[in-house]
Amino acid sequence: MRPFAVNRIPRWISGAVLVLWAFCVVYPVFWSIMGSLKDNQQFFNGKAWALPKFPLLWSNFSYTWETYHFGRYFVNSIVVTVGSMALALLLSATTGYVLARYTFKGSGLLYYFYISSLMIPAILTLVPMFFLFDTLHLTNSLTGLILLYAIGALPFGIFVIMGFFKSLPRELSESATMDGASHYGVFLRIMLPLAMPGLITVSIVNALSFWNEYPLALILMNDPGRYTLPVGLAVMQGEMQYRTEWGPLFAGLFISMVPILLLYAIFQSRINEGLVAGAVK
Amino acid sequence: MLKRKASLTATALMLLMSGVLAACGGGDNNKENASTPTSGTSKNGAAETAQLKGDFEIQYFVGGYGDAWWKSMIAGFKELHPDLNIKESAGPKINDQMKPRWIKNDPPDLVYIDGAGGLDVGQAVKDGQLMDLTEWFASAENVDGEKLSDVVITQPSAIEGKLYTVPLVFGSWGTFYDKALFSKNGWEAPKDFDSFVTVSEKIKAAGIAPYIHPGVYTGYLIGGFLFPAMVSANGDDPSILQDVSDLKPGIFKSEPVMKAVGQLVTMRDKGLIDKAAVALNHTDSQMQFLQHKDAFIPNGLWLPNEMAKDTPEGFEFGYIPSISQAPGGKYVANPYTSPMAIASKAKNPEAAKAFIQYIFTKKAAIEWAEKTGALMNLKVDLDSSKASEVSKGAIKFYSSDNLIVAPAVPIQADVNKEMENATLALTDNKIQADEWAERMEKIAEKVRSQK
Amino acid sequence: MQLSLPEFHVRGDCMTAAWKRRLFIASFVWPTLILFLVFTVYPVLRGLHYSLFDWSGSAESMDYIGLRNFKDMASDPVIAKAIRNDYFLVFSKIFGIMLLAVFFAVALTRLKLRGSKFYRFAFFFPNVMSVVVIGVLWRFIYNPKLGILNGLLSETQGKPVETPWLGDSSYALLALLPPAIWAGVGFFMILLIAGIKGIPEPLYESAQIDGARQWKQFWHITVPLVWEQIKVSIVLIMLTSLNGSFAIVSVMTEGGPDNATQVLGYYLYQMGFKQYHMGYASAIGIVILVLSLVTTIMLQRIMKRDSVELS
Repeated sequence: MRPFAVNRIPRWISGAVLVLWAFCVVYPVFWSIMGSLKDNQQFFNGKAWALPKFPLLWSNFSYTWETYHFGRYFVNSIVVTVGSMALALLLSATTGYVLARYTFKGSGLLYYFYISSLMIPAILTLVPMFFLFDTLHLTNSLTGLILLYAIGALPFGIFVIMGFFKSLPRELSESATMDGASHYGVFLRIMLPLAMPGLITVSIVNALSFWNEYPLALILMNDPGRYTLPVGLAVMQGEMQYRTEWGPLFAGLFISMVPILLLYAIFQSRINEGLVAGAVK
Repeated sequence: MLKRKASLTATALMLLMSGVLAACGGGDNNKENASTPTSGTSKNGAAETAQLKGDFEIQYFVGGYGDAWWKSMIAGFKELHPDLNIKESAGPKINDQMKPRWIKNDPPDLVYIDGAGGLDVGQAVKDGQLMDLTEWFASAENVDGEKLSDVVITQPSAIEGKLYTVPLVFGSWGTFYDKALFSKNGWEAPKDFDSFVTVSEKIKAAGIAPYIHPGVYTGYLIGGFLFPAMVSANGDDPSILQDVSDLKPGIFKSEPVMKAVGQLVTMRDKGLIDKAAVALNHTDSQMQFLQHKDAFIPNGLWLPNEMAKDTPEGFEFGYIPSISQAPGGKYVANPYTSPMAIASKAKNPEAAKAFIQYIFTKKAAIEWAEKTGALMNLKVDLDSSKASEVSKGAIKFYSSDNLIVAPAVPIQADVNKEMENATLALTDNKIQADEWAERMEKIAEKVRSQK
Repeated sequence: MQLSLPEFHVRGDCMTAAWKRRLFIASFVWPTLILFLVFTVYPVLRGLHYSLFDWSGSAESMDYIGLRNFKDMASDPVIAKAIRNDYFLVFSKIFGIMLLAVFFAVALTRLKLRGSKFYRFAFFFPNVMSVVVIGVLWRFIYNPKLGILNGLLSETQGKPVETPWLGDSSYALLALLPPAIWAGVGFFMILLIAGIKGIPEPLYESAQIDGARQWKQFWHITVPLVWEQIKVSIVLIMLTSLNGSFAIVSVMTEGGPDNATQVLGYYLYQMGFKQYHMGYASAIGIVILVLSLVTTIMLQRIMKRDSVELS
């Protein structure tokens, strides 16, 4: 199948640009791995792109893991990410479904209400949020963070999931209704399974942002036992101002990057699929 | 984000030479019990004190001094009061993390104020967040039975006649160089601005950049160079800094301030300031300095301890309080202090007071010096201790007649930020001295009008 | 409109059906809405409320001052500079990200190049990194003495280059662009790939038969048919830039040197959390909100006209 006779020269140039950009995005990752195996002397005396000297300092990883308690931060991050992914899915799938397939008083308003909240500068809510959390006794609780992340992800989730439900053929639900299925039955047994790719997409994109969220976690979690990885990293960077340890820092950066890269690698095609449906209204 | 912001914004503090001399002079004039704070004494002190109970929360910033001293102090205190439930809120980001709790009046009992984003004492007093310690401090004794007001080097500073803080750390800004490098090259440590320029030009000719500073945190240049320079230019009269702090109209266009700024311009125009400085933070600039890419750096006495791990073999920290004085002029020491305070809403103020009484002892001060390399605000003989050479060297300056100690004046946050911005722009040749003065007068005017 | 009508006719028991339907909708809408109101709307309203006060942000007491914060803003030169910088970043990012994202999306779908799966994976790397990571990485790249960039330049020019990229007010703002674009391209590329894959293949085939060159196909088929995605991308870039530039500025430059890289988002943070003017900071938040709204509407209008011309 070769319906497109593409000119050779543009093709060649395009290829070159792709390779160049691939280098630009892969090299920093490679470079931080290299960095995590160096000591300070190599950082400050050697060329920036030099490979680490032997013996490789794998100890930087165990050092970071233990001295900076990355093990615990890791677990916290996983709990928070998984928890808020599930909650975000529940909240945005229900609302998204109703907004996509039902018309009722205020449904249009509700839609714009959620979408326009994308324009709010999140940092504005930091201080009020803290007071709210305190009133509700949610500070220093992972549950509080889960709640907050899940709700913050609503507009995006509703937006994408709506697109999914809208794209499903109407006949499906109509025939089910005729067979006597209830509203809940249609949703749970027919619509939800069909929208699975969209739900996965939303969850992965959510996972990316939950895993990396930093300002809220910093303010709301001030018990080191509750730190998530980004807070742990920032604290480490903060301590680095007084104790220069580039190698362990890069090891920490790398540790925090790996799970999300794996997740993306596994679900890559699903994400692409989901975005198709989500973006094409 | 200046990490020793507290030193600039801390409450006014006048260091009397006599106090410093008594504190740090050669060993002979020190109190007889300098080396006798044994565990026995502290146990007696504890026996007299009622056992403390309940919760007790300490907030302390962990930075260049580490937390080893704090851990040791808290463990000792816990031994004295086993029923006390001590909660430590500590870390390099603790100021940000605790800020909301201060806002909503749920503060810790005791706070050590230091580091980026640390409590602004002036603001906190205005907001009624700190406990009035005036009466307590006048009579309080440490666990060894010595009056606190007798043992501290510098007295707490008063705000409208009342005391709210007790300075814990005592130190000074200054200019650092590597003695070994200088003697190897036959360079002389500068004694005044002229000799600084002369030796810098030699250094430059030898292929080393003379002067580096962290441009991202211009506070280092201001604390280590500009403020002392203002005092030098004012005929060694430190009252100029009080005027700057008070934002006296026209102060930034006054002759002494312009002369100090002019010295920066001279350094800039002679190419003595490393061009890379504008993009560096403190760690970057300190690494440059340690790697002999640069010869001088404005910094604080915490520097050698902070960089201990990365200091190359043979590097010998040299410390000069100021480099801005005219030939024959006196050195100017610009001090920084990091204080402790008790929250007015403290739930366990008795424990907070008892903890201060527990840590302001000679034993604790020696431990501080050994663990942090810096000086605690307590008169103690360090000669036989393992305190850093730089601390001991700094003391030699303090005990000299040839030194003026400037007050540690608070600079309002908006003014401070604009001064950092304008000073950085000046060193990078983006603005000139008159524009610098214009900008500072403008922000001063604005802040005055808001009061 | 979609589901309810047939249902009514089938059952005849209209009241119960309508009631059931209403209950169902309510049960799916209200839990989400209530949580959203409590944890998003309420804090935002509180934040906006602060903008009418002179409040240090570190005390319980607040002074009501009406609109004075907004008046002060009008005479604050940093605000004007921050707005200029914000829009410079918005438009440069839109240009840079869209150019690259469209190019990559087309190259990885229409040109049938080898390894496109790998590229699609790799190009997304920066999107999975925390902003803390991006900051550390790029500060190191730009480091005047140790950084990769100056290292490369020194090597190619044969003399030491020590340009303080993030420290010189002449190019610090420009230096923020590469990391911002670098970190943004992947997501939008995938969005566009999805759009292009949704275009029916026969359209291209018939164009091919008509002898339309690749370039022509791009303008006459690809662009009009993915215009919806392009529009969404541009608005998203604008919104995330205005609301999110805080992050990249805080990890790279903290607004310096001398406000050269100051943006509204970071200035809000600096005023509220570092200089004790929480009321003023909240007023800045309102400005960001208004600018986001106005710009969204304007961009939507401009792009609406274009889409008519193109298709």
